[in-house]
Amino acid sequence: MRKVLWAITLNTFRETLRDKLLYSLVGFAVLVIAASLLAGSVSLGQDARVIQDFSLTAMLAFLLIITYFIGTQLVFKEVERKTIYLVLSKPVSRETFYLGKFLGLCLTILVAGLIMAVMFVIVLFAKTHSVPTAAYFAAGAVILEAWLLTAVSLLFSSFTSPLSSAIYTFGVTLIGHGSATVWLLSQKASPVIRTILEGVYYIFPNLEKFNLRNDVVFNLTPSASQVGLILLYFATYTVFLLILGVAVFRKDEF
Amino acid sequence: MLVIRNLTKQFYQRNEEITVVDNLSLTVKKGQVFGLIGPNGAGKTTTVKLVAGLLFPGKGKISIGGFPAGTLEAKRKIGFMNENPQFYYHLKAREVMEFVADLFEIEKTVATKKIDVLLKEVGLKDAKELAVRKFSKGMHQRLAFAVAQINNPELLILDEPLDGLDPLGRLDFKQMILKLKKSGATIFFSSHILSDVEEICDEVAILHKGKIIAQGSPKDLVKSSKQSLEELFVRSIRNA
Repeated sequence: MRKVLWAITLNTFRETLRDKLLYSLVGFAVLVIAASLLAGSVSLGQDARVIQDFSLTAMLAFLLIITYFIGTQLVFKEVERKTIYLVLSKPVSRETFYLGKFLGLCLTILVAGLIMAVMFVIVLFAKTHSVPTAAYFAAGAVILEAWLLTAVSLLFSSFTSPLSSAIYTFGVTLIGHGSATVWLLSQKASPVIRTILEGVYYIFPNLEKFNLRNDVVFNLTPSASQVGLILLYFATYTVFLLILGVAVFRKDEF
Repeated sequence: MLVIRNLTKQFYQRNEEITVVDNLSLTVKKGQVFGLIGPNGAGKTTTVKLVAGLLFPGKGKISIGGFPAGTLEAKRKIGFMNENPQFYYHLKAREVMEFVADLFEIEKTVATKKIDVLLKEVGLKDAKELAVRKFSKGMHQRLAFAVAQINNPELLILDEPLDGLDPLGRLDFKQMILKLKKSGATIFFSSHILSDVEEICDEVAILHKGKIIAQGSPKDLVKSSKQSLEELFVRSIRNA
């Protein structure tokens, strides 16, 4: 099973690497991160802070765009081009196929994220001659968030069109980053609205858990328990999303 | 080798139930070449997809070598070539074969040798390192035929293998299928090109609106009806 999973993962990774959109996005992200050097230079004594904030936000934005545009197309393209017949008529379970597609895109996001992170570190080092440890953790958390949203986009794409899937995933991103606001609103709302908003708060992932950008600004290296909790939250949520996605995909006919 | 019993498949379109395969039963014996023929929309491709495990039966059972269709055990026994086969554009012909060999968990050294033999047999030896996006339709068909045999399948399932090929391509393809037949392969294939079916098959079933309306060896069908297979096909469809 491991050989089959790896074959699908690697094939998905190679397939996404052929997508010109990926190169445009990574290239543009690298330029934007490099441009943070200019943004930093016009700020008054806040160069490092601006560079860190600007670069990490750009990194997150571009990785999410990759997720929205490539992640939502993964299964759809297989069905549209009929390449899914090539795989699913072979001794490959639906679970293995789905997981392979997920891991393949995660690998692409990892590579894209690492390229952006390297640029971020170069820019930060060029300006401040030091890179706080927290910066590495923050960049890692950005990649984790993109991976989680990859699981979200794959789940939506297993039962809806790529466009709808991208819109829904974007919606989950917005709600996920506004979890605190959703909670505050729920506490001030009427009982019915309160129940709905509390449901939204608990069902949707709290993506702010992956936001370590402020820690970098204040040079606060996350503790081992904080990192452990983030990893546990990511793993639990992602496994739940993958199980849900597989349950939908198992019933699909081609 | 392949046993289909009371197979029924329905699809839903605008809340309307459409029966595409209707209580179909057939048996393909080991070493037999079985042709499923019928006009467009008769349910041939749906039947083939059900056997390959790409669709789920509504009712009835499909057994491949004793295993239910769609299970990993059944899929290990089959080689499948779908209608108008497509491949990943980023791969070369050799890489497509290697990818499929990995899906069957075939050892690399064994796979490499097998890939060379198969690509030579289907006439793609020189196109081995060519990206499949540059392939013509005929080359796609040939590659799909090679891919379907990578695991030495006990049952080869071919959906319209001769469709869309030029006369030379069809002749080549027929010869390849006949060669496999001579070697004792079990083949289940769908087609609407009657002359090819007559030439290749040991047994045929005429499918119309999801039901088998005539079945037997082409020779017997022609003999008993005193008509050509084409005439019998047309009459059976019109009378059904």
